[in-house]
Amino acid sequence: MAPVLDSKIPEGPLQEKWGNYKNGIKLVNPANKRKHTVLVVGTGLAGGSAASTLAELGYKVKSFCIQDSPRRAHSIAAQGGINAAKNYPNDGDTVWRLFYDTVKGGDYRSREANVHRLAEISNSIIDQCVAQGVPFAREYGGLLDNRSFGGAQVSRTFYARGQTGQQLLLGAYQSMSRQIGLGNIEMFSRQEMLDLVIVDGKARGIITRNLVTGEIERHAGDAVLLCTGGYGNVYYLSTNAKNSNVTAAWRCHKKGAAFANPCFTQIHPTCIPVSGDYQSKLTLMSESLRNDGRVWVPKKQGDTRKPKDIPEDERDYYLERRYPSFGNLVPRDVASRNAKISCDEGKGVGETKLAVFLDFAEAISRLGREAIEARYGNLFEMYERITGENPYETPMRIYPAVHYTMGGIWVDYELQSTVPGLFVLGEANFSDHGANRLGASALMQGLADGYFVIPYTLGNYLASNDLEKVSTDNESFATAETESMARIKKLLSIQGTKTVTEYHRELGRIMWDYVGMSRTAEGLQTAIKEIAALKEDFWKNVLVPGENSTFNKNLEFAGRVADFLELGELMARDALEREESCGGHFREEYQSPEGEAQRNDDLFTYVAAWAHTENGHQLVKEPLEYENVKLTTRSYK
Amino acid sequence: MADSMNIKLKVWRQAGPKAQGRFETYTVPEANPHMSFLELLDVLNEQLIKDHKEPVEFDHDCREGICGSCGVVVDGVAHGPQRRTACCQLHMRHYKDGDTIVVEPWRAEAFPIIKDLVVDRTAFDRIIAAGGYVSINAGAAQDANSLPIPKTAADLAMDFASCIGCGACVAACPNASASLFTAAKISHLAMLPQGAPERKLRVTAMVDQMAEEGFGDCSNHAECEAVCPKGISISAIAMMRREYVKAVMS
Amino acid sequence: MSSKNPLRSPVGKKLITGITGLGLVVFVLMHMIGNLSMFTGSDAYNEYAHFLAGLGPVLYAMEVAIVAFFLFHIVNGIQIWLGKRKARPVGYDTYRSAGKPSQQSTSSRSMIITGSILGIFLVIHIISFKFGPGGPGNADAAYVTNVGGTEMRDLSKLVLEKFGSPFYAFGYTFVMLLLITHLRHGIWSALQSLGAMRPSLTPLVYGVGAVLGMLIGLGFIALPLAIYFHLI
Repeated sequence: MAPVLDSKIPEGPLQEKWGNYKNGIKLVNPANKRKHTVLVVGTGLAGGSAASTLAELGYKVKSFCIQDSPRRAHSIAAQGGINAAKNYPNDGDTVWRLFYDTVKGGDYRSREANVHRLAEISNSIIDQCVAQGVPFAREYGGLLDNRSFGGAQVSRTFYARGQTGQQLLLGAYQSMSRQIGLGNIEMFSRQEMLDLVIVDGKARGIITRNLVTGEIERHAGDAVLLCTGGYGNVYYLSTNAKNSNVTAAWRCHKKGAAFANPCFTQIHPTCIPVSGDYQSKLTLMSESLRNDGRVWVPKKQGDTRKPKDIPEDERDYYLERRYPSFGNLVPRDVASRNAKISCDEGKGVGETKLAVFLDFAEAISRLGREAIEARYGNLFEMYERITGENPYETPMRIYPAVHYTMGGIWVDYELQSTVPGLFVLGEANFSDHGANRLGASALMQGLADGYFVIPYTLGNYLASNDLEKVSTDNESFATAETESMARIKKLLSIQGTKTVTEYHRELGRIMWDYVGMSRTAEGLQTAIKEIAALKEDFWKNVLVPGENSTFNKNLEFAGRVADFLELGELMARDALEREESCGGHFREEYQSPEGEAQRNDDLFTYVAAWAHTENGHQLVKEPLEYENVKLTTRSYK
Repeated sequence: MADSMNIKLKVWRQAGPKAQGRFETYTVPEANPHMSFLELLDVLNEQLIKDHKEPVEFDHDCREGICGSCGVVVDGVAHGPQRRTACCQLHMRHYKDGDTIVVEPWRAEAFPIIKDLVVDRTAFDRIIAAGGYVSINAGAAQDANSLPIPKTAADLAMDFASCIGCGACVAACPNASASLFTAAKISHLAMLPQGAPERKLRVTAMVDQMAEEGFGDCSNHAECEAVCPKGISISAIAMMRREYVKAVMS
Repeated sequence: MSSKNPLRSPVGKKLITGITGLGLVVFVLMHMIGNLSMFTGSDAYNEYAHFLAGLGPVLYAMEVAIVAFFLFHIVNGIQIWLGKRKARPVGYDTYRSAGKPSQQSTSSRSMIITGSILGIFLVIHIISFKFGPGGPGNADAAYVTNVGGTEMRDLSKLVLEKFGSPFYAFGYTFVMLLLITHLRHGIWSALQSLGAMRPSLTPLVYGVGAVLGMLIGLGFIALPLAIYFHLI
């Protein structure tokens, strides 16, 4: 049966909702907190901050991660920064502006109340991180430095060189480590969550696989926090880490948690392009490069001349041509889509013809090489390390790549999914970014959820529900364990002819071609058919080496790819259902005569939540009500 | 496509923590200069799987040099020949057709081998848990700008804080010492006023934990700095020692 | 704040090794300069030795201190070496240094070997000279001389005899080359161990350490070779 979606948005004016909520919640008595066990899955910014904060409050926390250490979660790779409405530069920022920019940047497909709360909390995050010793960049006066980022007219981004995610994550990891040392967090690394255990309608435990020994373990608790990140790896090639996956979230989905807006994915325009079939992942080059780099392709199709041999009048600076006022600084989705259009026209460059030039020659001649080196030196170095080409002398080749997924498990204002007791934090939930995420907002959301939202909402849940102790001998645990084991045995027993990577790559190709930067009804239908066929073939013909009882990465990947195959199908369905273009979701049928995205606010101002029922997937809509923001069309002409 | 290369790999294979290990030699006939070193291992593994053999296990995740998951000794050097580069960003263009590459796991008593090239680095987590943090609960912080910190101090703190915890310092050290890893965290926090209240407790607890984990002592070879993907200076180790002396003298 | 056992900790061990090492550098430097007095004549050399012997309790105190420094230096050195073997029971098939800024060298890798040989040499050296003919508990009229009216041990004679033999002259030279090797890494390492290093100073300190080590070693080598080749 499909669930009823109650977003539980608190009463009152927007600015007072979070305060009103906190005033009204039930609290857990300090002495009772240690009687509650909370299972936190994932140790990125959301999971790490949640685990440490709950342990500080006195809860017993069990924390799980698939990496060998909680310090390696993929939040660590975030480069640019973290937003907050501190207004230290005195340039006119307010909580309202951060809220407004985020809602607008999300192309009006996010929940006002959640986004406003995020903006309110943003300042406390910076305070907390600085107190932990996060070495943010500073001015000579000793105060914090800010830089500007896409989608905002103020400088509100705090950063630690190009390693902001790393430093924030290490801050959370160190807080966690302190609680581990104190015995308040029990850490389970190299453990993968395979299933959610529901007892009497509430999330009460998880089934995990020990990735070293293959043992299946049962863990019981009073609530489960899912902080397992996004699902960008459904595309095989993405900027996500190799181990990032949807399995934990997908298992929860199949146990009753609705999955919202799965088709909302963010494709980042400036990544190092694919160089061959062996390619295992894509590397992001910071968005800031577009401040001084000019994007172009040859006017002639299939032009194989070296870039310096192509005369100025035979080059197409297509962003400057199509968007004279924003030029190379159009938002991520627009820049990505235009790169694809140029390559589809046969004007792509490089060996694979799937790349465009990002040229610094003009900036170098205008500002001098040293100025460019000061601004982008480390990025240029990274580019050269990977490609072997010197971007000071020859233009960079870039191409868009999947970077972030705005969709995720549906949660209410309390971050609770449609399964009571299952809370979802960070990128794993759908809540704050609508159809497109602004730069430097993912770190903000992960930490907001973990440090400042979940301590309140989880407490309210624990205090409001009578949670009898559950034993791992409970039948629900046994059933879930048996199912997980059966699946592993099945994967190992097929012994077909195609490797897991081959299936994953094929799925990625289908997703990229039909559910990528630009989508059509016909293409999406093709995708659904092709994925279904691929899934069927997978379960007949996959070749998983080795056995369960040892460290076996291919077995881990096999389970994840199996889930990606199911998710991919749902993403295509969701994209087919949403007959409009908004944010990262561009349907070719719905564009303006100039080729820009055209929303349909009358019909599609809702969250598409998909319930997994006995009759397959069923769409449930949560209407989005805009009481404070006026819906407008974005224009960058 | 770029010219393909024939690369021989001499790889350490070990079925489990207690199993007897050995070298196996494989040939990858279709290596490509654009590939990363880990992608070369991927290609080898696809070959092995198709031949119904067990693939070579190795840790990897972000593949952009920041998560610290990957790490193998390549031809005798931790992370391979390219400076300030984790092996995920080492590219095959540094090799030529017909080369043989020797690949071994990190070797240290404190990093027991789990399988093939995968080792257990949880000792690092325990060193951090011993004191590598500032004791501040969420919600207790003052305004971020109420504590000015000179830019030079903040920048130096960032240099030390950039450690990715990969373990190359231990792997390359002739003594298998974890001094650079431990010192980097101690120095990061020692550079900042936030770290001051606990500095004495921190340095003694972390140094004790480092010894307890079974790492060797430092002999100032500075090999750690040379292989560190982030180029962290051994001045961190000097600072750790100063911190330690100050702590035990008071 | 107390560590469980500060002097046995990884930092403590290096501090002791460093402090004792630097103390021993001062000692060998003084010893070497003393040796050079031989170049100004046997009498000067004997007078210098006689002066030292005449210090009595002060000399004993210095000797005790030097012995203690040696013992602590040796014990810690051996412990660090044993610890290293325990910390990496299985070595690499292929191992090489990554190059600069690594300071790893034959010198740094061979501290235990050069140190051990120097230790053995030290015992032989003390037996040969300090407790040799004319020394304490080994009175020998043949090794008594008179300088400016004072009777004293003719240590110079012993030195000339010993270094007249190729075995001793070249053995001593060889061991002093090892001392140079030991000091080349040792002086810099001691300063780093004492936390006295800054990255910008590393090349300078390493250079000064190497030069000082070289000077000490060459100073020692000068005497036996000069004697053997009848230059003095």
